[in-house]
Amino acid sequence: MTVQILDPTTEVSGRRIAYARRPKSMEGLRVGLIDNTKHNSDQLLLRIADILEKEHGSKTHIIRKKKSSGAAPHAEIIEEYKANCDVIVAGVGD
Amino acid sequence: MELKARRHTVQDLGGAMDLCYTNGWTDGLPVVPPTADRVTAMLDAAKIDPQHQLAFIENRQISVTAEKVAINAVMAGCKAEYMPVVVAAVEAIADPKYGYHGPATSTGGSAVFMLVNGPIAKELDFNSGDNLFGPGWRANATVGRAIRLIMRNVIGTLPGELDRSSMGHGGKYSFCIAENETDTSPWPPFHTSRGFRRDQNTVTVFAAFAPHQISNGLSSTPEGVLTTLCANMRFSAGTNRRPQYALIFPGEHQLVMKKAGWSREDVQNYCFENAKCSMAEIKRANIAPGPITPEDETTKISVVETPQDFIVVAAGGIAGVQASYIPGWGGKAGSQSVTREIRKP
Repeated sequence: MTVQILDPTTEVSGRRIAYARRPKSMEGLRVGLIDNTKHNSDQLLLRIADILEKEHGSKTHIIRKKKSSGAAPHAEIIEEYKANCDVIVAGVGD
Repeated sequence: MELKARRHTVQDLGGAMDLCYTNGWTDGLPVVPPTADRVTAMLDAAKIDPQHQLAFIENRQISVTAEKVAINAVMAGCKAEYMPVVVAAVEAIADPKYGYHGPATSTGGSAVFMLVNGPIAKELDFNSGDNLFGPGWRANATVGRAIRLIMRNVIGTLPGELDRSSMGHGGKYSFCIAENETDTSPWPPFHTSRGFRRDQNTVTVFAAFAPHQISNGLSSTPEGVLTTLCANMRFSAGTNRRPQYALIFPGEHQLVMKKAGWSREDVQNYCFENAKCSMAEIKRANIAPGPITPEDETTKISVVETPQDFIVVAAGGIAGVQASYIPGWGGKAGSQSVTREIRKP
């Protein structure tokens, strides 16, 4: 006699995720850097900002620190990014 | 009751167990085949609709339904009556304060330490005594395992993918205990310190590293026992990160505390003051960067932020003088323990 078992995994629901629009050029854009709290992540990000400004024409940058590498940025710094930045550089450096 | 999960047909129960291995649905140990009747019994025991969303994991954008939780609880070997405990634990790990994504994903490699409190612990035979973190009790073994299988199968916390633990530890199979809530305990049950009544049932989840055992058979005073504990904790996984720590005291140490009339708060305060390092020591040990300043020699830092960040629990064998401390993952900004009521239908 056969046995039927139920699938324990999450089955695809087909929901769409909206991504932010990507700029065609960095020329004149303001860059926001998200420091993920890991040692030297600020140095890496500032170097990226330097390259974006010197080689790709971005205008300014700000850098803010998350409270924990495992958590999303807190509301206050998200508001700062929204008010002052056109693009964001984020990622987990470890 | 309509179950919506995809169905797989195999020749027999052995084939069902093999299919679970083939599809990567196990923790490496065999699982109980999740047949519709077993899953239905699990849902019935909690009186919960299969499509009810128990949790939403924000970073993964994953909805955790009661049906998928029940399927994994069956696979883990849970009895149907354990389901309310599993449900409460799933709700707890989805609490933003627990911060699922960090501890589940980090190279730091934490497990979900679970503490069951209230009358339900005795009713379901959760162990709070001998071989506390070891094998031998179905409730401890399978409820903890169910949570790990749910993390793996429903939330996608797969080793090497979205679980990047460098080391991991045995608690990632199962890490679930109860507390001594009898008169021999020096303290009221832990959950009463979180605002619950003694007769309520709760589960506390805590993103935790492995238990570290300490031994003190020489002291008959709380200060003596805790001196050994603090000496071990000063330089441990949470030094300078200041997560929460669980402190687990077995029978003989419980007796020492009780005789001396030491409250849970007394233990917390003593450990807060004595599990400290200077910033200079921390820097010399390469736990913090930078040059050592004169102030670093006198700046003392406890392993936790506040005394209340010690989760003090009475549990373990009656005989023996081995206590444990369990460092939490990361720091408090990333994850904190959460206590949730277990709702019996």
